[in-house]
Amino acid sequence: MVMKNPKLARVAQGARLEFVPLQVLVPVVATLIALGIGLLIIAATGASVLEAIEAFWDGMAGSDFNIGASINRAISLALVGLGFIFASRANLTNVGGEGQIAMGGMFATAAALHGAGGLPLGLAFIVPLAVGTVAGAVWGGLAGFLKAARGTNEVISTLLLSFIALPLVYWSVESFHLLRKPISDVSSLPESAEIPDTTKLPLLFPDNGSPLHIGLLIAAIAVVVVWLVLKHSTLGLRLRAVGLNTTASRRAGMRTSFYVILAMTVSGGLGGLGGAIMILGQQFYLTSDFSSGYGFDGLVVGLLSRGSAVGVVIGALLFGFLRSGSINMEISAHVPSAVVLICQGLIVIVIAGSAILTNRKVTR
Amino acid sequence: MIDEQMAVFIGSGLRLAVPIIFAATGEMLSERAGVLNLSLDGMMLMSAFTAALASWATGSPLIGVAAGVLVATAVAGAQAVLSVTLRANQLVVGIGFNILALGSTTFLYREIFGPLSRDPIPGFAQLNLPWLAHIPVIGSALANQTGLAYVSILMVVVTWLILKYTSFGLAVRAVGEDPRAADKAGISVARTRYLGVLYAGILAGLGGAFMSVADSNTFTENMTKGAGYLAITAVIFGGWNPWYTLAACLLFGFATALQFLVPALQLDVPVALLLLLPYLLALVAIAGFVGKSRQPSALTIPFERGG
Repeated sequence: MVMKNPKLARVAQGARLEFVPLQVLVPVVATLIALGIGLLIIAATGASVLEAIEAFWDGMAGSDFNIGASINRAISLALVGLGFIFASRANLTNVGGEGQIAMGGMFATAAALHGAGGLPLGLAFIVPLAVGTVAGAVWGGLAGFLKAARGTNEVISTLLLSFIALPLVYWSVESFHLLRKPISDVSSLPESAEIPDTTKLPLLFPDNGSPLHIGLLIAAIAVVVVWLVLKHSTLGLRLRAVGLNTTASRRAGMRTSFYVILAMTVSGGLGGLGGAIMILGQQFYLTSDFSSGYGFDGLVVGLLSRGSAVGVVIGALLFGFLRSGSINMEISAHVPSAVVLICQGLIVIVIAGSAILTNRKVTR
Repeated sequence: MIDEQMAVFIGSGLRLAVPIIFAATGEMLSERAGVLNLSLDGMMLMSAFTAALASWATGSPLIGVAAGVLVATAVAGAQAVLSVTLRANQLVVGIGFNILALGSTTFLYREIFGPLSRDPIPGFAQLNLPWLAHIPVIGSALANQTGLAYVSILMVVVTWLILKYTSFGLAVRAVGEDPRAADKAGISVARTRYLGVLYAGILAGLGGAFMSVADSNTFTENMTKGAGYLAITAVIFGGWNPWYTLAACLLFGFATALQFLVPALQLDVPVALLLLLPYLLALVAIAGFVGKSRQPSALTIPFERGG
């Protein structure tokens, strides 16, 4: 079986459709298979598939509001996905998106509530965005530092850092000394106070009721910058060199530790920015589970894209719309949104399993 | 008063350590063979759910455990096909399985039990071994455990014996350190790694089943809460040695149990900080104490014959 695999890969490559590279075909087929299985599961529950699809569609794109909300979700996922591919250019696997979002959101909330609200010239929301980005960058950079200094596997460290970040957010909204909103006579849920209006991201189309905000422009800039850096810059080349062969890069005179830390810092920073945008753009106050699931969604987006910034945009839109749809499907058609998790898991597994078809270079 | 709380603390620390001991012990053997199963958490979660379901349906916790182990082993089989035969990225595959496990158990739980089920699930009784109970302070904590808890320690011994004294154990170590040489010596790398991953699956299954059928007599969504990741960390912290790994698991178990002890002693420490303590400890442990040199040389590196 092991012997046959290279042959299998050649056969598969010979059989691929012209003009459709396997790198594109595999994620598309994997997504279609997963969605098909998702529909089968919905059918198996006895729920009306048509009703479920209708609720799904309605949640995704049924109104200007829903379309805007879906794209807003996609913005944060795209940023986490960009972070993932940035790190993976240096052969680093950042699976800590969840923690980086959490730190970004938490510190952005803190900045918005304490001081940034009165700043002029849009600084009221720019400062919290920057603070959130830095918080995520520190969280990601920590994993990079541990990798460079101690050889700690970044997969394990970013995972553990996520498990550390989530209780920190919980703590911040539980404790009155931190971000929990003061007890009022209405309620005292463990959440922060709403951020000042000046710190909320400006809407792109304030007239038609769409919640779409300028995060879209920020994400678009990030996509272009990451694309330029990875594909057309010396830095991208160096990250790639460090990822492919650390020892050789070091012998060639590169400070490999610096690039490892830099890659993880930028990666985490993009996740932190995504978290900050979630709070400043749509949620407006911090809850302990505001980041729930976005980290893994962003990770899947990064995986699906196979390292391409354009792929990240497509994947993020797909998952942004999927998530909106699944939430509405749960509310109106009573189909558990966990079905979407099942689909995502299947997508990741199928894509990882078919890497043997797409990687021409055979690993040892 | 303090004595009583210490006994409760030790008892719950041990109980919380048991699933991690099971999972980490199996994972250690698999990693010695060169395969890292990040899907450990998913295996445990699948097993916890299946065990709860089977125990609830049949009334027999024993059948529950068997069903849980079966499902976890099936997941391990799929992980083995992907990481050994298809040479996929072991870490990415593992994360995929964890997402799949979370989605499918949450979905099935809501479909079968309903979102707010409080149905008790038939579980194992505690053994209350009298000869253990006489030991001061820790006696009652040691004695008031279910049979499965003692099995976890037994599995550590068994795994140690397998690694040290059997030809299979030798094969495991060989394919984890130098698969090419092992292959030339006539050892089947693929077969050894398959068995290693399946072994990890069986033990992760026992760990997951322990959570639902022996420890809490209920299933909750995402009930493993990252225990599988802690188990993997324990293996790293334990330097791929069964006894040090056991010690790391106990440390994590007690660190988790602190969140019950500290409020009971009326100490003013935020619960959230206690929640993150095991993970912080784990991070410090693998960053501070573990050099890269001790890990099996071929860990996470797929093997291909020829070339």
